[in-house]
Amino acid sequence: MPKQIAIYGKGGIGKSSTASNVAAACADEGHRVTIIGCDPKSDSSITLLRGRRIPTIMDLMRQGADINEEDIVFEGYKGVKCVEIGGPEPGIGCAGRGIIVAISLLKKISTAIEDTDLVIYDVPGDIVCGGFVAPVKKGLVNEAYVLTSGEYMPLYAANNICKGLARLEMTLNGVICNSRGAPNEEKIVSEFAKEIGSSLIAFIPKDNLVQICEREGFSVIEKAPDSIIAGVYRRLARGIMANNDGKIPVPLDDKRLRELTRI
Amino acid sequence: MPVKQKEPLIMHPRPSSIVAALYTLRDLDTDVVILHGPPGCSFKHARLLEEDGMRVVTTSLDESGFVFGGHDALVEVLEKVIKRFNPRRIGIVGTCASMIIGEELHEAVMEVQPDVPVIEVEVHAGYRDNTKGVIITLESALASGIISEAEFERQKHLLKEATEVEKRHGAASKEYLEPSRGDLKFKVAKRLIELIEQGKKGLNILNAKKETAFMFADINLAVDQIAKKLGAGSNIINMANLDENLGLPKNRRNAREIKEDLKGAGMDIHHITGGLDEYPVAGNFANEIIREKYSDFDFAVITGVPHALPMDHIKNMELFSITNGPRQVIPLKEMGHQHVAVEIDLHPKTLGINHIVESEFGATLRELARDA
Ligand SMILES: Nc1ncnc2c1ncn2[C@@H]1O[C@H](COP(=O)(O)OP(=O)(O)OP(=O)(O)O)[C@@H](O)[C@H]1O
Ligand code: SF4
Ligand SMILES: [Mg+2]
Repeated sequence: MPKQIAIYGKGGIGKSSTASNVAAACADEGHRVTIIGCDPKSDSSITLLRGRRIPTIMDLMRQGADINEEDIVFEGYKGVKCVEIGGPEPGIGCAGRGIIVAISLLKKISTAIEDTDLVIYDVPGDIVCGGFVAPVKKGLVNEAYVLTSGEYMPLYAANNICKGLARLEMTLNGVICNSRGAPNEEKIVSEFAKEIGSSLIAFIPKDNLVQICEREGFSVIEKAPDSIIAGVYRRLARGIMANNDGKIPVPLDDKRLRELTRI
Repeated sequence: MPVKQKEPLIMHPRPSSIVAALYTLRDLDTDVVILHGPPGCSFKHARLLEEDGMRVVTTSLDESGFVFGGHDALVEVLEKVIKRFNPRRIGIVGTCASMIIGEELHEAVMEVQPDVPVIEVEVHAGYRDNTKGVIITLESALASGIISEAEFERQKHLLKEATEVEKRHGAASKEYLEPSRGDLKFKVAKRLIELIEQGKKGLNILNAKKETAFMFADINLAVDQIAKKLGAGSNIINMANLDENLGLPKNRRNAREIKEDLKGAGMDIHHITGGLDEYPVAGNFANEIIREKYSDFDFAVITGVPHALPMDHIKNMELFSITNGPRQVIPLKEMGHQHVAVEIDLHPKTLGINHIVESEFGATLRELARDA
């Protein structure tokens, strides 16, 4: 069975850029990788496809198309298989239901989530309804990672996610710090990780290169392979591939969380 | 990429996939079904099915259930059902509401760990063809080892055919179908008796869906009895989809019961055309027999699902159809059936019974024949 992971974290914290850079780094090392974008805004795979937007499963379903694997699974950087679920515009319809429907279609018509070494589910920031945890509930995710900075709100969100994971009896395999340049950040996140029963597996510095490459439609792995930040993503990728150390997290109470961010 | 021709919109209300799942669970001898959804969902059928001995309960999801999820409610109801009814087989059926919010039926089952089989059916009412509800149920029954792969494939084929039958000449054949009460039973019966009296040769065909045969068979029986009474018994050929060795447990049982009743009333069935669940394809079989032996007959009485009988070899006969669908009248007339009568509200009267029940058209025939 492939390694099946999902990266959770507060909206805008850097899940999609981390996911696509990890995907690219794993592909560089010869792993077969599949990335499933579960966000209605379908921006998970763009930087693996040189800025190209691929048709989303939900768009095709809406058109009443007869959907085959080649209509929804696209090869990006070094053969990374990219799938975007898509969904409605904000405030309309039910994106969660879309994920449920799309995942079951994908399972039926494609081997992209089985016949591979690593599947990354890139989920939107807030797990607002049952649909967003469908990949977990359907047993398609076996490792979760939480991405956070050292600021209070992202940590608050990370802690909330841990509550959700604990409720679903889903293991957490590590906390990743995506730095926003807050003071003492590495120490705060490292302490947080320890207290919820996990560990800090990577510290990604804030680096403008991420955004520069992104703007042109690339991961840093592809566009700036020799940069320091590319090295960080590679180490994280290796860490994830080697990781089999998951534990059900124990969320903190809010008081402790506030204290932590004051270290 | 080929874009499918989007299927045309159909405006009249049609049978629901959730309800189809409920009836299928009954055919699988399920004792209790939990509808995971709003309290009023599928009420009428849930109630009727109790006549057949299957209990239906609901998790009664309300507004806050929609928002916060219904897992706890499902666990609670499942536990209560086990305690109260001590069932040997349980079904859990989804609804639009629970499926949209992503409820996992299986999670509740894992939590409660019942020691009897549970058939989980992730279904909602938003499918174009209600046969989808049957297929999902059977898939689940297959997965839990309740039916065999062979039976599953057989059913799947029948359902595909049933869907096609409805598309060709049935409830899914038009954007909107006006309901109709059909022709006056009195007039239709009179004309039928006239033909029998004239010594015309007639086919007397039962092609009914499952338990509806309990009432439709009464019509075929009345035709046979009247022909005999008028000394024309040998002019009538009886066919029926009453094979007792085909279908889910209940269907086989019902075929046997109806056959015994007919036999007891002195009616011979000359040709068995299939099982009680084979109404979509049994008509094709009947079609073949007619081509071989009876294409020169003068009239045909077809009860149940008359529109599933191909017109190939009956188009020159005078056709008497008896259906229970008010929306089936117009399509049948368009196919060329001269007389179409409707047994209104037939289905509810065929639940919870194991003997043939009197039909209105059968009663009309018998009444008229008294003075014939
Ligand atoms: N380490 C970093 N250094 C600099 N910029 C970064 C870094 N990580 C992410 N970003 C930038 O932050 C922005 C938000 O990132 P991204 O879209 O990956 O977040 P997200 O968590 O996926 O958001 P959402 O919850 O909306 O899906 C992007 O413009 C991205 O390039
Ligand atoms: S909309 Fe769906 S869930 Fe609601 S009552 Fe109708 S069939 Fe049931
Ligand atoms: Mg994102």
